[in-house]
Amino acid sequence: MQNSLSRVLPLRTAISTSAGLASAAVNFLAAVEVAEYVAGQSAWIAILVAGVLIVFAGSNFSELNGLFPSAAAIRVWIRRGVNDQTSLVSSLVYMLTVVFVIAADAFVLGHTFSAAVPAVPALVWILLLLGVVVWTNARGIKMAGRVQDANAFILLGTLIVFSVVVLLKTPHLNQFHFFHLGSQWYEAVALGIFIFVGFEWVTPLAEEFRDFRAIPRGMYIALGLIAVAFGLFSLALTVAFPQAHVLASSFVPQLLVGMRALGPFGFWWMAFVTLTTAMTTFNGGLLSASRFVYALARERVLPRWFSRLNKRLVPQNALIALAVISFGLAVGVYLTGQYLFLINAGAGVESFMYALSSALVISLRRREPNRSRPFRAFGYPLVPIVSGLIFMGLGVEALLTPVTKSGFPWSLVFVLAIVGAAVLYVKWMVPRLKAQKPGPPISRVETKERV
Amino acid sequence: MTLMEALQQFVNECNKNARLREMNRDWSRRIQLESADTKSLHWLVSDKGEVEAGSGAVDNPDMLIEAPEGTLTAIFSGQMTPTEPYNNGDLLVHGQQDDMMRLDILTLLIWGE
Repeated sequence: MQNSLSRVLPLRTAISTSAGLASAAVNFLAAVEVAEYVAGQSAWIAILVAGVLIVFAGSNFSELNGLFPSAAAIRVWIRRGVNDQTSLVSSLVYMLTVVFVIAADAFVLGHTFSAAVPAVPALVWILLLLGVVVWTNARGIKMAGRVQDANAFILLGTLIVFSVVVLLKTPHLNQFHFFHLGSQWYEAVALGIFIFVGFEWVTPLAEEFRDFRAIPRGMYIALGLIAVAFGLFSLALTVAFPQAHVLASSFVPQLLVGMRALGPFGFWWMAFVTLTTAMTTFNGGLLSASRFVYALARERVLPRWFSRLNKRLVPQNALIALAVISFGLAVGVYLTGQYLFLINAGAGVESFMYALSSALVISLRRREPNRSRPFRAFGYPLVPIVSGLIFMGLGVEALLTPVTKSGFPWSLVFVLAIVGAAVLYVKWMVPRLKAQKPGPPISRVETKERV
Repeated sequence: MTLMEALQQFVNECNKNARLREMNRDWSRRIQLESADTKSLHWLVSDKGEVEAGSGAVDNPDMLIEAPEGTLTAIFSGQMTPTEPYNNGDLLVHGQQDDMMRLDILTLLIWGE
């Protein structure tokens, strides 16, 4: 290419996108769960260890992203590194994790606003806020990049400042066991992975950055910020409320920390930050997932109905379908209170995806040795192999972690059911969809309804 | 069919369709196409609803598209949707995703699914 692009994204956006997509409101509950497993104040170590491990996954994603800088990201990498069917199954399951996170965030948001404004039922808040995001997306209104950038930095900054204030206000800090590792420390690290889930979703923006170093740098800086912010948050949480099981019955630990740090102002500020965080998750998740569904429908992997556009050229059917699924899941989780299986399932699926990223780096080094690699994964092949095995183990551990008193691994059943459904879909439905006769040009048919 | 002929056909289809002209009225973009195998350069420019094509480099492009010449020819002549080579890593794009989606929609509107 001879000329430089007229519009490109800065490093700041790489950092904020990576940090913003990872920083979902449900991370507050994940931090509580990590604290429960370590049974003390050392949750911060589990989160830090998870963050260090994820740096290796980040190294894999950086190599893959440089190799094929594409918005289709994992769809391309797995297709080139393994095969088309594996790519489709993985992409469908991966896309569903976006829906899990949206549903889990809706659950947190509902509880936050129920605590702040008890007169309005939580499900009304969830429906209202999801509806606002769908409406703005369907009208082609996008959250300005600067707003999204600001939100990520405000959330992480708030967590750091509030946590430090709580620590400074707490007397006799030396009575706590900051380095005590509980018996379920491995489980804590496995679930700590969830706090970083989504940091790699900045890679689909690769086409909008001219400097290939922006995405690796952005991811690493974001990982550092998330580790510090949520590590401090877990520390403040466990110091302010030493009995972690007490927090398990609260779905709003961030409001408790806000209240402890700065009183009513801290409470309302945290409620506001939760709102903006969840709205950013809804917006980013629905925007990217609906475009992904549209692309799969264009490929005739999903029914053609999903590629229909409204008059503002937004894939409205895909958008509404995803929002309805997210809302349904959020209602189910809200009514049962079983949010933990979403966290465990999300941590498990993402850990497997990070393990797969190691396998893809190795496979593509063999399949396409001469293709340009602006970034190379650390310590190839040893580090990708070892980190891949570790992530496999953490994924299994996250899925086996019980979410009910019976100890039955519902998260594992849930993920296996989704993977099984995706495999059946790819084996049976996709060939039939691909065999369908292509439709006529849309401009030559009744465009008003279809476009 | 050469790439230039395919681009010309694409441009004609865009310009003769009143609805597409209306849709592109607020979409003014300079698009550079590079054939990954032959290294030849072509361009598309959309300006206030009118689309033009030519060979060579364009100044300050908004979007760069790179693919084998046969793939680019197939896309702009309607024999292939951009999604297929894109999801296979054969079509690389640099620029804003909205612009890529707009180009995909143009091919959808002109050539069908």
